[in-house]
Amino acid sequence: MTTPPRTLAEALRARDDESLAGLLRARPDLLSPVPNDITQLATRAGTRASVVRALEHLDRFALQTAEALAVAPDPASYDTLLALLTGDGQDDGAQRDDAGAAIRDAAPGALATLREQALVWGEGDRLRLVRTARELLAPSPQHPSPTGLGPTVAEATAGMSPGRLQEILAAAGLPATHDPVSAVTALAALFTDRTRMGELLDTAPMEALAVLDRLVWGPPYGEVTPNPTPPVKWLRDRGLLLPVSTRTVVLPREAALHLRAGRAHRVPEPLPPAVVAAATRDPQAVDSAAAGQAYLAVSTVEELLTSWNAGGPAMLRAGGLSVRELKRTASVLDVSEPIAAFWLELAYAAGLLASDGEADERYAPTPAYDDWTELPAQERWVRLATAWLAATRTAGLIGGQDAKGRALSALGPELDRSAAPEVRHRILALLASLDPGTAPDPETLLARLRWERPLRGASTSAGGTTDLRSRIALWTLNESELLGITGRGALSSQSRALLESGPAEAAALLAPLIPESLDHVLLQADLTAVAPGPLERPLADTLSVLADIESKGGATVYRFTPGSVRRALDAGQSAADLHAFLAAHSRTPVPQPLSYLIDDVARRHGHLRIGAASAYVRCDDEAVLGEILADKRSATLRLRRLAPTALAAQIDPASLLEGLREMGYAPAAESAEGDVLITRAGTRRTPPRTPPVPVPEGPPLPDGTLLGAAVRAIRAGDTAATVVRKDASQAPAAPAGSLPRTTSAETLATVQAAAMTGSAIWIGYVNADGAASQRVIAPVRVEGGFVTAYDHTADEIRTYPLHRVTGVAELADSEDA
Amino acid sequence: MTGPLIVQSDKTLLLEVDHEQADACRRAIAPFAELERAPEHIHTYRLTPLGLWNARAAGHDAEQVVDALVQYSRYPVPHALLVDIAETMARYGRLTLSKNPVHGLVLTSTDRPVLEEILRSKKVQPLVGARIDPDTVAVHPSERGQIKQTLLKLGWPAEDLAGYVDGEAHPIELAEDGWALRPYQKQAVQGFWHGGSGVVVLPCGAGKTLVGAGAMAEAKATTLILVTNTVSARQWKHELVKRTSLTEDEIGEYSGTRKEIRPVTIATYQVLTTRRKGIYPHLELFDSRDWGLVIYDEVHLLPAPVFKFTADLQARRRLGLTATLVREDGRESDVFSLIGPKRFDAPWKEIEAQGYIAPADCVEVRVNLTDSERLAYATAETEEKYRFCATTATKRKVTEALVRKHRGEQTLVIGQYIDQLDELGEHLGAPVIKGETSNAQREKLFDAFREGELNVLVVSKVANFSIDLPEATVAIQVSGTFGSRQEEAQRLGRVLRPKADGHEARFYSVVARDTIDQDFAAHRQRFLAEQGYAYRIVDADELLTDN
Repeated sequence: MTTPPRTLAEALRARDDESLAGLLRARPDLLSPVPNDITQLATRAGTRASVVRALEHLDRFALQTAEALAVAPDPASYDTLLALLTGDGQDDGAQRDDAGAAIRDAAPGALATLREQALVWGEGDRLRLVRTARELLAPSPQHPSPTGLGPTVAEATAGMSPGRLQEILAAAGLPATHDPVSAVTALAALFTDRTRMGELLDTAPMEALAVLDRLVWGPPYGEVTPNPTPPVKWLRDRGLLLPVSTRTVVLPREAALHLRAGRAHRVPEPLPPAVVAAATRDPQAVDSAAAGQAYLAVSTVEELLTSWNAGGPAMLRAGGLSVRELKRTASVLDVSEPIAAFWLELAYAAGLLASDGEADERYAPTPAYDDWTELPAQERWVRLATAWLAATRTAGLIGGQDAKGRALSALGPELDRSAAPEVRHRILALLASLDPGTAPDPETLLARLRWERPLRGASTSAGGTTDLRSRIALWTLNESELLGITGRGALSSQSRALLESGPAEAAALLAPLIPESLDHVLLQADLTAVAPGPLERPLADTLSVLADIESKGGATVYRFTPGSVRRALDAGQSAADLHAFLAAHSRTPVPQPLSYLIDDVARRHGHLRIGAASAYVRCDDEAVLGEILADKRSATLRLRRLAPTALAAQIDPASLLEGLREMGYAPAAESAEGDVLITRAGTRRTPPRTPPVPVPEGPPLPDGTLLGAAVRAIRAGDTAATVVRKDASQAPAAPAGSLPRTTSAETLATVQAAAMTGSAIWIGYVNADGAASQRVIAPVRVEGGFVTAYDHTADEIRTYPLHRVTGVAELADSEDA
Repeated sequence: MTGPLIVQSDKTLLLEVDHEQADACRRAIAPFAELERAPEHIHTYRLTPLGLWNARAAGHDAEQVVDALVQYSRYPVPHALLVDIAETMARYGRLTLSKNPVHGLVLTSTDRPVLEEILRSKKVQPLVGARIDPDTVAVHPSERGQIKQTLLKLGWPAEDLAGYVDGEAHPIELAEDGWALRPYQKQAVQGFWHGGSGVVVLPCGAGKTLVGAGAMAEAKATTLILVTNTVSARQWKHELVKRTSLTEDEIGEYSGTRKEIRPVTIATYQVLTTRRKGIYPHLELFDSRDWGLVIYDEVHLLPAPVFKFTADLQARRRLGLTATLVREDGRESDVFSLIGPKRFDAPWKEIEAQGYIAPADCVEVRVNLTDSERLAYATAETEEKYRFCATTATKRKVTEALVRKHRGEQTLVIGQYIDQLDELGEHLGAPVIKGETSNAQREKLFDAFREGELNVLVVSKVANFSIDLPEATVAIQVSGTFGSRQEEAQRLGRVLRPKADGHEARFYSVVARDTIDQDFAAHRQRFLAEQGYAYRIVDADELLTDN
């Protein structure tokens, strides 16, 4: 390489194929679609989305290196970078040397990573951070840098008046310059000069140093009042605090770096934090504990789905299980709800349960479940474990809420978190990196995880477990324990095999650890049976009918009760079958009380018989019933002899009567009480009914008052327009043709009087729409603030609210007119 | 597939008895697990918070418990259970009750949030006094029992370091002339003495009185003994005079008839709980002397007022004795928190194997009621049903036949209903002991029975407890207090005293078939069945034709 590259594209072009492939492997998003040429690749590698993604995949030290480059001059030499990472040694930190050495060791690697990912290019003395990355990582008021550094003097003084700059120079004891650019350079040079800067700060008041102390590790911004305190003023005068706005000042980067002894980060973390062992256990114990849990996982999933054999719970309209169904499932499995949710999601992820897709959607086991149950236990576990490893659905979220405040339900939507499989693999890989039998301290595991994939913007020291990756990590640890991936906190060798070699090896390792199925139980005189291990399936099935399960786990305790024995008899077993079954499967003699119990229940079982019949025939003469049964014609009646004197029929009583009559008998019907029903010709009656109300044509006839009013009104209406008002002269305020106006008291009095006398009056009325009109009405009644009246104008009865009546006037006597 | 123990996720432990490591395992888990059932092949233990805390109090830590489980377990121990054990045991000892030279009894915490949590509880507030410093709060000495009980219920058991008062010294020695404490009795006494206070559970007839005497000989202090009734009080006195250095004059009886307070005083529960004008005048007996030891006989019968008073006696050593710590009122945990944890427990069958109690053949005799009796039973009022089916004439006839079958053997007929017993007594020509029988008459009859002058005795439930009938070999139970498990055990205990000829005892329970009597019988038998007594069920007809 004779000429150093001038652009990223040139730098990329200079790289060999393998190194380009490395870039594309690390940043696969650059490949879709495949770029046409190197220039296009370089352009795409510089796009914001791609750079953000690349930065998010960096480990903490690579990110710190990038951050340090972002605050360094562009381009920066390797030494500058190293100085930013290690500091200039003018620091009182005791362990600086160790850290410095570690940083010097780790820095080339971190830089190589950045270079490979095309985030940094250029030769050793001209390192350049890709511009987009620089923009993303460089401090700005909107995005404070994780370094806690502020803008440079040049950036912070941009837009400052030259006069003010010269004042600062003077205050800082620098000679005046001709132009702002040289002024800024001089100031920056002062801040970066260790000796002169030290001298300047020696003159600073104590309070001013305290102010700097608060700002030095960031955030570098401070609020000031228009009349700052003397220490702040002292700093501001010397450019150690530069104004950002009227109320905000910032500590310029050069000054901060001086105060930090040149370090960009308070705590550079060149080495991944070690995962510390919390306990070291016997690897064999770990394997067997994990195998026990694995067996439990398999049997729990089986128990869950067996309980759904006849159809599982309904699906919510929004998808998933209701909270009540989850509770029910939890109580069936005798676990807490979050754990029940995990088993549900596990079975779902493994394809063992799904919605049936009917109109009324319910969950049910899938056909794959039937295949799964046929597998040996170790392979069933491997299926579950592989499904869990790859699943993006995270059961830990269940019971929480999504961003919109909707509850996240088990088996429901919105549970996919794409980070989950990667975190799971990473956790298990870290577990696998420990010695067999080592159970790590979860805190250190989380710290390691955070170092490997720090959240951009999060401060390095913030611990906590609130971010999604840490939560997934914690869930992963719990779920591994539940699923038997780990045993007592340490990775089991079967899981190690699953991760490193494959399912077959894992199953082979697990198989000998899983307890063998037994073909016997121990029967005891207190009417219990103990299966000291898992039972063969047919035995377990029969026993769970014949006895109630009292306790589950490695062993199963069954209790025989009259109810449970009856259940077995109901299921078609005979007492002899049960005796034979117990004798065959008991290691010990069958206790006498148990045999007695079975015989005693069997003695009474079926003693009473229940059936359904539609009608019966009874007759004191047994011969007659025999005769009826013998008669071929009775076949259609479907008779059955229940007792010498009673037959049951499957047809209704009326048809039976008819049929027997046809056969020449003279049967009589019986009531439910046993009386003979007397049949007479139909005298059927309805319950009491009222006669229908006639529906006349047209409106109802008006009564006398109304008619009188109507007639009067017709006359009045006839002359309404031309009516001569009595009070026309007395109410000059109301011009002719306008609405009459009276006080509400007068209105009420007049209307009431009119209702009593049955006379018509003239009113002004404003309807609900505000339209005013004049009407002639004959009030019928006045009550509750309404007047009901015959409206001559509209020719019908109407009700007017009194408050809408603007005023009333008596009509001039029509006779007078 | 090696260990004898199976640890279930519901916190029960199943121990395979016939396994070669069974004994070692039993010893390892006994300090923290409660023996729940002991039938023939698999014994069931249960892990309870109380048991785990008692183990902590006895100096065991969670690691030991976990190790014991892991070492003997046949299958991997569920991880959740191990975590739970560690968490439960870690709750013990965060609070301690101790004596402060300045403030008297104080409750101290090593974990301030816990103290804050319990002080906020409404139940604790009335029991504590002033806050002395952020970690300490004063407790009135009389609330020592109450606060321990309350804290236990809140799940933060207090470690009681306040110690015991020695009480007024009084020389008591065991007079082991020609006899000695049996090994298990010695263990029980030692277990109690080292634990401070607590309950000793021994089968009926296994010599609980001697455990009491042994404890007194350890305490060498004035002793208050609480017993169920006067006959029992006399027997205690008789036994103490015989077995210890105590003389008649040193032992007082505090009962309905006599009110003596002596260095060793035997009082009945009945007199203590006599109430006059709303107060218990005789409870001051507890304060009448500086007792160094309080013994509660038949602690499963401890009446509620005595419970309350016992709470105030936390500074004195307390020994509870019982055969069956099953209380039908479910107050077992109160017994444990007020008197003390179980210090010794021996399965019945184990004592039987050692030959200290007689083997027993338990037989449930099923009686077919006659058709008319069945009809009458079907129409009886619900509350009368048990009485009706338990007292049918058919049962009486079967009982008589059983008595005839065992003619010449010392036979007890035990029942609940007086008229049934009177009738039986009449038919059998045997005396009846019931509530109204005077103490003098009772003792006379018991003596006659002991001497063999009487072969058959009909007793009501008054004789359920603490009557010593060495030669009874057959007990026939005709009716009982519904489904009471401990009554069944006590009644069986009547025939378990070892027989001179090593003869097997017989225990018959006559039960009417297909009635509520049968259901109650099944419930009553549960305790004994769990102790390994296998009931045979026999049809009455078969039994009678055998004759």
